[in-house]
This record gives sequence, structure tokens and C-alpha cells, in this order.
Amino acid sequence: MAADTLYRRITDHANRADPYPLYAELREHGVARQEDGTYLVGTYHEIAELLHDPRISSDQRNRTNPDEFALGREGMPVSFIGLDDPEHDRLRRIAMRPFGPPHTPGRVDALTGEIAKVAEQLIDSFRDRDRIDLVDDFAYPLPVTVICRVLGVPREDEPRFHAWSQTIIDSFDPTPGTDPTERRRAGLDARSAMGEYLGDLADHRRGRQSDDLLTAFVNDPGPEGGFTREELMTTSVLLLIAGHETTVNLITNGMLTLLRHPEALDLLRREPALMPRAVEELLRYEPPVQLLPQRSPLTDVEVAGVTVPKGSPLILVLASGNRDPQRFHDPDRFDPTRQDNQHFGFGSGVHSCFGAPLARVEAQIALTELVRRLDAPRVVEDPPPYRRSPILRGPRHLLVEYGGTRP
Amino acid sequence: MKIVVDLNRCQGYAQCAFLAPQVFEMHGEEALRYTPLAPEDQSERVRRAAAACPVQAILVEEEAGPGVR
Ligand code: HEM
Ligand code: SF4
Repeated sequence: MAADTLYRRITDHANRADPYPLYAELREHGVARQEDGTYLVGTYHEIAELLHDPRISSDQRNRTNPDEFALGREGMPVSFIGLDDPEHDRLRRIAMRPFGPPHTPGRVDALTGEIAKVAEQLIDSFRDRDRIDLVDDFAYPLPVTVICRVLGVPREDEPRFHAWSQTIIDSFDPTPGTDPTERRRAGLDARSAMGEYLGDLADHRRGRQSDDLLTAFVNDPGPEGGFTREELMTTSVLLLIAGHETTVNLITNGMLTLLRHPEALDLLRREPALMPRAVEELLRYEPPVQLLPQRSPLTDVEVAGVTVPKGSPLILVLASGNRDPQRFHDPDRFDPTRQDNQHFGFGSGVHSCFGAPLARVEAQIALTELVRRLDAPRVVEDPPPYRRSPILRGPRHLLVEYGGTRP
Repeated sequence: MKIVVDLNRCQGYAQCAFLAPQVFEMHGEEALRYTPLAPEDQSERVRRAAAACPVQAILVEEEAGPGVR
């Protein structure tokens, strides 16, 4: 089929369960121009270069035809994932101050005990059953509980912010041929509502002491000065969404992959110390973020012999780079002990994932406990039904049956 | 356990400093300092750090083989 329909085929929900043959087709073309002037890149070395190229922007305002809905709106501008340096760097550093080194090096490590406890309690509740939905019963509630704890958001408000989050994610669904106007407007409304909600929570923390990011943002701005209220709102929305719409897919894709590879599951049950590397391999083999749809060049840029004109939409298909045989030996093989594994699961370059250490620990603990405690687990339906989004890809449900649970 | 970081390869992503903060420490935004002989009670954290390093700059030599906890 023609290479200029690849994006349409990749975003087609019918191909969600197995997009990898399409990515192989994309890599054969190096760079594939689409019918609408969008450029797709799927080869490892080209993606790596572009992610480190300062001529490539993440800011929609640099597009010839910016998506007006991706520009944010008055009072709720774009968050730092959609900005370039130096503005991106300033905001990311303010956000990092209470989250990681150099200022708060112990945050993620201090959370490991709590993450393990949440995982333990969730699995305890499987005891009297023989079938679970891994998504709704485990992979979703775990990271949500954790990100609520980190940000300082009451867990019982989950139904509210989950609805907003879904609306926001659906609003940037790029499926061509669907009319996005209504969805986009709903997405902007949801973003504003979530921003106000988080801004209000933060206002109430002023002058109080509590070990969470919202409290730190308002009370400890640091030497560079902290966020404006607007910046606090947009950044907190970004963290809440990124923190709970991605890790769920790493845990679910991860368990599905292990259930499809029983020898790997056995190995990890015998040697749990191998789990950190296995999670890196899962991030390569079934990455929760499949592609980055936001980039565009600030000037005409040559990519693998093709000129990508200034201001065109440039889509980097991370999941395709992860399967590039020019970079990875036997890339379609799932090898939990793979050593040379510089994958794009968390992106690369200045925008590389802010929450990666947290997501890694969550997935390592979650999968270690599932593997250890579920007796003879098996998938009920393979492939399972997938979520709508081709960007944040993962099963909507994953029914798993098991013989029993171990203590 | 013995730790060696190939500082030529290290690009200061700080993944290690999140995951084993008592062993790896960032000085300023870029410079990494680490403890070459880490106590055994840090081994799980060090394993996490080594796996997470995006450029695989961390080499770990464990007293016992991997898998023994
Ligand atoms: C398995 C889980 C996760 C995956 C696969 C993932 C993946 C990614 C990827 C690929 C990017 C790069 C985006 C780009 O270059 O445009 C990114 C950025 C980001 N992630 Fe994650 N992420 C995960 C979990 C998290 C968590 C738990 C948080 C929050 C605590 C988070 C916060 C962010 C933020 C704030 C950015 C923007 C960074 C920037 O623009 O500088 N992520 N993530
Ligand atoms: S994770 Fe690797 S690259 Fe990053 S600071 Fe540590 S050793 Fe250096």
C-alpha cells in the first residue's frame, strides 16, 4: 500500500493490537510524507538525531497551520511539554525542585515502600476470586494512588479528574477523517476545569506543611522564583495526566507480554532481581507512548535525504525506532535480559520523561508482585480490546484468570 | 558491591540519583558523584539505577551472583 497513507493506517483502531508490521513498512521508507503534508519518521538513528536537534520545536506556534486547540487558551496556556527552551527548561526546573535531584534526591526512593503497600493491598483483594480485569483492578488504581500522593490530590476526587483526563486524551486523538472540533473544545474545557481544581487545591496549601508537590510549589519557590498561578495550573495538569494515563499501559502491556512469554515469566519468578532490566525491555518492546505527534522544524531540515519543510507536522514514531534492526539485535524478540537497550520508551533529549524514575519503580514493583503472587495466570482473551488512542496505546481491559494467590 | 561509572559515557541524566540517592549524587545539574563501594543493603537500588541509566554507563560487581537476595 502507499506510504502516504501510513499514518491513517497506524491510527486506525483496527490496527491497534498489532501496529508493528506498519512500523516495519514505515522504516523501509525512512521518512514518509503523508497525504496532508505530515512527515513520519520511524528509524532509530533519525529519531535520535531529531530528538536532540535544536531546530526541531515542540511548540505548535511554530507550525505553518497550528492546531488552534493545541495552543491552549487564555488563562490556560500550553504546559512545558509543548514549549521550547529556554521557557521549557525554566518551567521543568521549577517542577523538578520538589521531585528529584539535585534539590530533592530522595523523593522517588522514599515512595517505594508505599508503592509496594498499594500493590500488596490490591492483590490481597484478588484472593477470593479467580478472574480479574488487570486494568481496572490493578494497573489503573496503582499509579493513580501514587500520583495523587505525590501531587497532594485527594484520592477520592478520582472520578472527577478521571473524566477530565479522558476528555483531554480523546481531544488530541489524531485519527484523520474524524471531525475533531467538538472533541477539541471539550478537551480545552476539561483542561481549564482541571487546572482550576488543582489551582484551588494549591491555594489552600499556602502556609501549610505537607510533603507533596502542590504544597512545595506554593511554599518553596526556590532561588529562581516559582510558578505563576497559571504556570502552576498547567504544570499540575500535565503531571496529573502524564502520571496516570501512561504507567497503567506499561503495567498492562508488561503483564500481557509476560503472559505471552511463559519462559520469561518463569525466569522473573525465579530471579526477581532481573526485573529492572525486564522493564527496560518492555519499554522498548511495547512502549506505552508509541509516537510523538507534536514536533515541527524551525527551518527546512534534511532527514534521511528528504527535506522536511519548515513548519510541517513531524511525527516521531518511537515504537518503530525501538524495533529498528539497524539498532537492536533481533528487535522483534522479547528478551528480558537484553543488555544493550537504549530505547525511546521515555523519549530522549530535553523533553525526555520527567517522571521516568517513578514510572520505572511503579512498574518494577507492580510486575514483581503480580508474577510472585498469581498462581498459573493466563489471559482470557488475546488480543484484548484496546483503548482508542494510538499515542498512549494499551488494552482497555485485560481479563486474567489464575489458580489462586500466594501470600 | 563494587560500582564503576564510565564517566566518559555518563551524560548526567540523573536517573541513577533518583533511584539510589545514597550511592549516586548530582552536584549541580550535571556532575555525578558516586560511592564506588556501596553497602550490600543498597544492592536492589543500585540494580535499579544501573538498569535505568540511558547510556548504560554503570557497571556493578556483586559479591554474590545476581538473583540472590
Ligand atoms: C510508563 C510511564 C511513562 C511513559 C512511557 C512516559 C513517556 C514519556 C515520553 C515518551 C515523554 C516525551 C515527550 C516528548 O518528547 O514530547 C514524556 C514526557 C513527560 N513525562 Fe512521561 N512517561 C511516563 C510516566 C510519567 C509519569 C509518572 C510522569 C509524572 C510524574 C510523567 C511526566 C512527564 C512529563 C512532565 C513530561 C514532559 C517532559 C518535558 O517536556 O520536558 N511521565 N513521558
Ligand atoms: S543515569 Fe547514567 S548517564 Fe545518568 S547520571 Fe547516572 S550514570 Fe550518568
